[in-house]
Amino acid sequence: MLSRIAESLYWMARNLERADNTARILDINLVYMLEADEGATEETQWRPLLQIVDADQLYHARHPDQAVSVQKVIHLLTQERANPSSLYNCLRLARENARVVRDRISREMWEALNQFWLEVDRHLKVTLLPWRAEEFYSYVHREVALFFGLTESTMMRGQAYGFTALGSLQERADMTARILDVRYHLLLPDLSMIGSPLDYYQWGALLKSLSAFEAYRRQYQAGIRPIDVVEFVVLNPDFPRSLAYCVDGMGRTLERIDSAPNGKVTECMAALRAHLADTTPTGILDQGLHQYLEWFLVLLANLTQALQGDYFEAHLGETA
Amino acid sequence: MLRQYQFQSAASSPPPPSRATAYHEFYQDDFHPREHYRPMWEHIQHAGQHLLDAKAREAHLTLHTEGVTFTLYSDQDEGIERVWPFDILPRIITAAEWRAIEAGLKQRVRAMNLLLKDLYHGQNVLKDGVIPPELIYQGKDFRREIMDIDPPHSIYTHIGGIDLIRDERGCYLVLEDNLRTPSGVSYMIENRVVERRILPEFFERYRVRRVEHYPALLLQALRYLSPRGEEAATIAVLTPGQFNSAYFEHTFLAKEMGVELAEGRDMVCKNDRVYLKTTKGLRQVDVVYRRVDDDFLDPLVFRRDSVLGVAGIINAWRAGNVAIVNAPGSGIADDKAVYAHAPDIIRYYLGETPILENVPTYQMTDARDRTYVLDNLERMVVKAVAESGGYGMLMGPTSTAGQRAEFVKKIQENPRNYIAQPVVQLSRHICYLDGELESRHLDLRPFVIYGRDIQVVPGGLTRVAMTKGSLIVNSSQGGGSKDTWVLAE
Repeated sequence: MLSRIAESLYWMARNLERADNTARILDINLVYMLEADEGATEETQWRPLLQIVDADQLYHARHPDQAVSVQKVIHLLTQERANPSSLYNCLRLARENARVVRDRISREMWEALNQFWLEVDRHLKVTLLPWRAEEFYSYVHREVALFFGLTESTMMRGQAYGFTALGSLQERADMTARILDVRYHLLLPDLSMIGSPLDYYQWGALLKSLSAFEAYRRQYQAGIRPIDVVEFVVLNPDFPRSLAYCVDGMGRTLERIDSAPNGKVTECMAALRAHLADTTPTGILDQGLHQYLEWFLVLLANLTQALQGDYFEAHLGETA
Repeated sequence: MLRQYQFQSAASSPPPPSRATAYHEFYQDDFHPREHYRPMWEHIQHAGQHLLDAKAREAHLTLHTEGVTFTLYSDQDEGIERVWPFDILPRIITAAEWRAIEAGLKQRVRAMNLLLKDLYHGQNVLKDGVIPPELIYQGKDFRREIMDIDPPHSIYTHIGGIDLIRDERGCYLVLEDNLRTPSGVSYMIENRVVERRILPEFFERYRVRRVEHYPALLLQALRYLSPRGEEAATIAVLTPGQFNSAYFEHTFLAKEMGVELAEGRDMVCKNDRVYLKTTKGLRQVDVVYRRVDDDFLDPLVFRRDSVLGVAGIINAWRAGNVAIVNAPGSGIADDKAVYAHAPDIIRYYLGETPILENVPTYQMTDARDRTYVLDNLERMVVKAVAESGGYGMLMGPTSTAGQRAEFVKKIQENPRNYIAQPVVQLSRHICYLDGELESRHLDLRPFVIYGRDIQVVPGGLTRVAMTKGSLIVNSSQGGGSKDTWVLAE
């Protein structure tokens, strides 16, 4: 297929997945805020979100000398036009990419996404207020789920499907790693607590941001222990948002897409797999979760570059 | 051989009365619909306003959700996307009317194709004095760069979108030959899809001919051109990109035909061959259905600043390694100054009497015509010869003195660039607007495909001037559209 089309499919899916994840962390934070603990401030509750999506600097550029507030974070991450990864921009890009590949996705997928976008665009013409935000985010979850559901049920399992699935899985792995990284460090200042049960609500919020709460509870009955959380979120092969699950899925998707002409992608996939294999939760925590996740994100970024060279600019590899 | 041709200067024939009443397609007189509209009329009465309102809303919603849009160009960089405006009441053409239209269109396109072949080879048409040579040589769309190139099967005008209007007598006249990259066919099909969904009960009362096989016919015609044979043909639709006004149509056609939708940057030329950049490297292309104007097609040959085209594609075409649809240089055949000679062109190449007449046209290069037009500007429509979409024209009756003065200056500076026509009252038809049946002016664009033979899909795009009394139907100027039914014999 055309390289440009492959690239657009990939970014269509990535942007949708990102919008969904952004909506989820905002959503969970809002719920969590309703019954805040003593000592919690807007600052401590909302700053981590800025860190997760790398919007710290942007926030301070927009609001110098101002404390972090719910309204402003919601605005920045949801509808700020100047924030390239605001929900608004993610959905706009997803729809724009879908428009480019309109002849490659099913009619159902296009219509669902188009309608979704028109509605979001209309809705975000005015400022989203915190007490209306949750409703909006659950709408986003529903629509993204609808789109990917239609992708599963109406799209041919060819290359086009492959690049769509790849974009979605990669973005999910990326977000999972970021959420875990930021939250974990805020919640666990003291390493000696690794084996003990922790604050039910705060850790619950972490798991909920990953749609992992119920599944985790079923798997581990001993309360929420950091070591179990790491095992579940990083290594569980059956949890659909875990790093292991996403990387495995990406590997299999790439095999179906067909071997990359330059082989860079294969190398990068091998590095990602190796990073997750032969390791235990204890091993990860011993070497430092932050370092471990940071390196994972580097490997993911390498893969993005490799995709560029191997597929999106494949023709450059050909000699005249 | 000596050929004699009579050239009629339009000024010598009496102009049709400009105050005449427009022909009404629907009403026979004040109270009665024409015979073939009677079943529809009964149905409208029966349905009532409430139901029709609901249908109109449903139609709009459907088009909105499906993203059936076109883009309006504005001063901003990115155009404004608009939902396709659709009127729910279909326009009906009888089998007998269609027979004449179809024959006329085929005749016209066949002659225009012969004209192009001649103009880019021996130019007998100029030597025999049928068309004044300067008219061609001064034409913006005559492309010297492609002289003596032989396109596959000598076809230039693979796709034509001929604009027809009905004059005060109800006669079908050709208003424009669109032979470059005519658009609108996807809307013709979408109109039908929507109409069938919202008004199935209308269809039960008529035998309406199908139009949705257009993409299949087009694909057949494109495959026929493949230099490596039909079986091996790789076909691509070349689009300027998603900000083009007809982008919806480009995706529609690519999808319906199952071929690649590519932009200029997706292609590259090597050794006089055209390739697509794919995820598996380069793949050779045999037929390019381009929706990019000549000017932007190849920066090596035409405009150097073009980023929409493919550098080297003309050389590949010359070498016979790729077919380009429509052929470069086709624009000269729908130049509005050449249009005036269409009846002579048909007689010259085919030795036949033209079946479809022209609208009387005044050449601004002709001193007598020009004087007449400049003296009667408020009764004229002045058009730039190489523009389309309703851009660059003057509607005399509704113009201001300032606009007329501006056009006088333009015409005097560059007479070859303009033609003028008396204002023809386009036929009218009822539309369902805000709960009322209102009459609006409309035209018709049927689509002609020239492949192994010439085919016309029974139907076309009916464009409606949504503003009361307006004669401008272009969607870029606020026009709407209707489903168009051609009845079976």
